[in-house]
Amino acid sequence: MKVTYAKAIGDALKEEMRRDSKILLFGEDVAEFGNIFGITRGMLEEFGPTRIRNTPIAETAMVGAAIGSAVTGLRPVLELMYSDFTLVAFSEIFHCVAKWRYMHGPDYKVPLVIRNASGSANGAGSEHSNCVESLFMHSPGLTIVTPSCAYDAKGLLKAAIRSDNPVLFCEPKLLYQVKQEIPDDVYESDYVIPLGVADVKREGTDVTLIAVGLMVPRALEAAEKLAAEGISVEVIDPRTIAPLDTETIYKSIRKTNRVAIVEESNKTAGIGAEYAARFQEELYDDLDGPVVRIAALDVPLNYNIKMEHYTIPDVEDICKAIRSMM
Amino acid sequence: MQYEKEQVLKIYTEMLHTRLMEKKLTEIYAQGIVPGHIHSGMGQEGSYIGVLSTRKPGDYFKFGHRPLSVYHIVGEPMDNFFGELLAKRTGNALGHGGTNHLGRLQDGVVGFSGTLGADAGIAVGAGLTISMEGRDNVSYYFYGDGTASRGPVHEAMCLASSWKLPVLFVCENNGFAISTPVTYSSAVKNPGGDRAAGYNMPSVVVDGTDILAVYEGASKMVDYIRAGNGPALIECKDYRWRGHFEGDQCAYRDPEVTQHEMETRDCVALLEERMKAQGWITDEELQKMREDFDREMDESIARAQEAEEIKPEEIYDCLFA
Repeated sequence: MKVTYAKAIGDALKEEMRRDSKILLFGEDVAEFGNIFGITRGMLEEFGPTRIRNTPIAETAMVGAAIGSAVTGLRPVLELMYSDFTLVAFSEIFHCVAKWRYMHGPDYKVPLVIRNASGSANGAGSEHSNCVESLFMHSPGLTIVTPSCAYDAKGLLKAAIRSDNPVLFCEPKLLYQVKQEIPDDVYESDYVIPLGVADVKREGTDVTLIAVGLMVPRALEAAEKLAAEGISVEVIDPRTIAPLDTETIYKSIRKTNRVAIVEESNKTAGIGAEYAARFQEELYDDLDGPVVRIAALDVPLNYNIKMEHYTIPDVEDICKAIRSMM
Repeated sequence: MQYEKEQVLKIYTEMLHTRLMEKKLTEIYAQGIVPGHIHSGMGQEGSYIGVLSTRKPGDYFKFGHRPLSVYHIVGEPMDNFFGELLAKRTGNALGHGGTNHLGRLQDGVVGFSGTLGADAGIAVGAGLTISMEGRDNVSYYFYGDGTASRGPVHEAMCLASSWKLPVLFVCENNGFAISTPVTYSSAVKNPGGDRAAGYNMPSVVVDGTDILAVYEGASKMVDYIRAGNGPALIECKDYRWRGHFEGDQCAYRDPEVTQHEMETRDCVALLEERMKAQGWITDEELQKMREDFDREMDESIARAQEAEEIKPEEIYDCLFA
């Protein structure tokens, strides 16, 4: 069947809530409205108002309520709407969500998921278009996941909900309506994709291209174009942004000896910055050239759609960067 | 309210233990064996123990950064308590957490954030669990007059009242946020009580140094919450005897006022007088209670000093479940 990324997220939530009565979902406009992207439509009717809850616009309390209910035995899924709004509760996520178990001892578990609609959306403007993964990579204790397709989104969200550790789950908005063909029996098989495992989306031999979220389909398109030019690109989606699956990625880099990272967010102190630093520290002798970062320009995202598109890497930007490495 | 001797003796004993432990904390800090800071809660025991005297099994607690002794009062064994304070493996958090992160989940302690107020929502979350499970328990959220200004506290009140969760907000107003007097930080007289109406919460304001007044006020609020009516608030007014942390010389306040407060509003001495007047306790019995508890603490502190610390190779062990 053809499945959209948004439907996969919604189905993962429903299937998990049917499986485990300890799971509840709360956030802004998730009940009657079914979330601003329609992802949770029908869930209030199926699960009722105690398990599907709207909240006042009170992000710090929402994050707190997720921690408090998780520590005392529930498995909350919190929706913070736009990823930009996670920053309203940055302190609560950075200090409390990530560190609560470490600070209070091994009896404390924090099984919660914070879902957020991430990245650009054609003119959503500077405060509704950000990716926040790199900001939260600085929080030991937090697992950060960004799926790039419907199949991964469903399996990873199930894994996140079943994890006993807190997960920041980023959903690139421009992927919500992207359809993927998935066999019915596979889609309905209650499959789970383990956290912390990267996926080789396309095999290649000349360059390893680490692509995150919205950049994965663009990286695959770029790899196809470059193949016609005789450049073989291996595209890897880390899926779990932190902690990183270095085993899969390092194996690839040791094979290709060249690596680039492409992300939707700003270049400075981004995901690519951290990965590049690690790769050169740990794999210096395996690299034939500098680690290349392909990322958005260091400028706030524009309301002007042409300027927004100019800011974020497209297929041609990726091709150009990869060619320069050869 | 009519009291039985046993009930008052139990309240008194917990308050006395809190006082002795808060005093002991200042002593071991002066000896240089505590790696972090100590924020003594001497003078404020009545507010805490008065409210806590309404607790029952299954309740949850988010305490303040003073008095720490209440973690022991609700169940944490002394060896875990002092072990954590001295950053030892025997501590509840293996020494990772320290003064701000004492207590045990099995006693209902949900934890504490050093970014004061960030944890208000966490107490609300514990209330959510109670509500989802249909229990008649209470999640107690203790915060100070300083933390009363923080946005997360107000957001937590907003969410708790919107969802009608069983949370008791306990504003312990000791008059100072480090050096800033509450008369400066708050435009209202009661930074807890005067704001409760904004969240449709009933509230009472009591003298925190009169522990039975605290208990009676808290009982009213707790009965309301346990009946399923949603959150409520109590504000207890007391006075912080010591500086914010040990070593704070309190140059920002009049030492004569402090002296007067300590002499006239000592919650422990005030209840002792009432008990003696009733013929419920003698000076000899009081003396023995103090000596027994003091000895128990000294023995536990000695064990904590001897206890191991975690090893560097174990530093990541508790990061993920």
